[in-house]
Amino acid sequence: MDFGIQNQTDEQQQANKESSNQNVNEGNKKQSGCCAFLTVEFYTPYFNVTENDVIQRIQGTFLPLKPDFLNLIRGNPDLWGPIWINATLIFMITAIANLRQIDEEKENQSFVISYVPQATALLYIIAFGTPIVLAAVMKFLGVDLSFFQTICLYGYSMSTLLPITILCYFQNELFLWLIIVYGFANSSLFLIVNLKEELDKLQIQKKYIIIGIVVTMQLSLYLFYKLVFFSYVTE
Amino acid sequence: MEFEVQENQANNSIQGVINLQPQVNQVQAQQQEIPIKQTDLQVSSTLEESVAVTLLRDLRQIGVKLRCVLVPTMSTNNARELRNWDLWGPLVFCLMLALTLSMSGNNDDGPGIFATIFVLIWVGSFVVTLNAQLLGGKVSFFQSVCVLGYCVFPINLGALFTLFFSFFYLKMLLVIGCFMWSTYSAVGFLKLLIPEQKRILALYPVILFYLFLSWFALIV
Repeated sequence: MDFGIQNQTDEQQQANKESSNQNVNEGNKKQSGCCAFLTVEFYTPYFNVTENDVIQRIQGTFLPLKPDFLNLIRGNPDLWGPIWINATLIFMITAIANLRQIDEEKENQSFVISYVPQATALLYIIAFGTPIVLAAVMKFLGVDLSFFQTICLYGYSMSTLLPITILCYFQNELFLWLIIVYGFANSSLFLIVNLKEELDKLQIQKKYIIIGIVVTMQLSLYLFYKLVFFSYVTE
Repeated sequence: MEFEVQENQANNSIQGVINLQPQVNQVQAQQQEIPIKQTDLQVSSTLEESVAVTLLRDLRQIGVKLRCVLVPTMSTNNARELRNWDLWGPLVFCLMLALTLSMSGNNDDGPGIFATIFVLIWVGSFVVTLNAQLLGGKVSFFQSVCVLGYCVFPINLGALFTLFFSFFYLKMLLVIGCFMWSTYSAVGFLKLLIPEQKRILALYPVILFYLFLSWFALIV
């Protein structure tokens, strides 16, 4: 019996020690910011959207001349859009680029699997790498746009590629170039018009540096797109 | 095999705790000592059994879990069974799918296809589970990876059947059927764990994942 009572008090002491350890650990978690970006909890606030929000944001990218997007995402930039729009694009690129080749009625049609890693590398580097670089440049030049808002803006601008990829199924070379140029114009305008509000506060040269970076990256993305995935198919 | 040993260790430890309490009644102590000897025997017998028996036991566990996952009835037995996640099943199905697709005749890059499918399944399950967790769902990480891996099995069946048929529309129907079976099972498991207004955001990646795999099964 005495042994039993001692066991209980031991357990109580252990429970108290554990709870005080937890309090210390929680305090440590909030204080240690260096590795915070590796935890799941750090990114949870950036997934705080519903389906209607996502649909609204995608619709906003198709009308590039209305500078509404930053107001849409103000205070609630999300990462769901950038990640899964690019994943959908990877699937569509692989599907449609291979379907284009199958339609030729050739004897030995081979399935090009290398589109998957190529598309993944291209899309994720441009969708996440460019905003990182751009956000760094903008911070350096004094623009007041948060890092995640830039990623969100860039990620959603990729949604112009969704209908373009589907339309790239057709074999007509001129048509392909036309829609590629349209896509480039649409997404560049979308990005520039939405950044305009923030950029107008800067001097002219700094503004053009940023616009130059944006346009160059969009141009390279669309050129890569056309030349690597949907290049001219010999008949 | 590790499972059994751990369980036996757990049983041993429980038995050990009981035996440490001072027993006034010696007969009771002797009676409680006997189960330890039986579990000791079980530990040594899983070490001494033949490899075939071990493998068959693991395969049987995979089969039981497969039936739980793929026959979409949400009974409590299923839920309890699924909490014992394991990654053997997903590995077996992933390897089967990758081998089937890399050995079919319509491609000239077998190793590339194998590597892509393998990476796609594991990285895809990882990212889909992470997405569900980030959206606020209360999914345990490995349990979700386990279920997503088990639901690849219908696509496996589809890939095997498409090796034997050559009529494209029949293949397409078969693969669409397998895709819908996989997606229905996986969605049935996950949708209860996600908050209501973000459900489609969490389930769309699952659909995309199985669509990608089914499309590979159809085209390659």
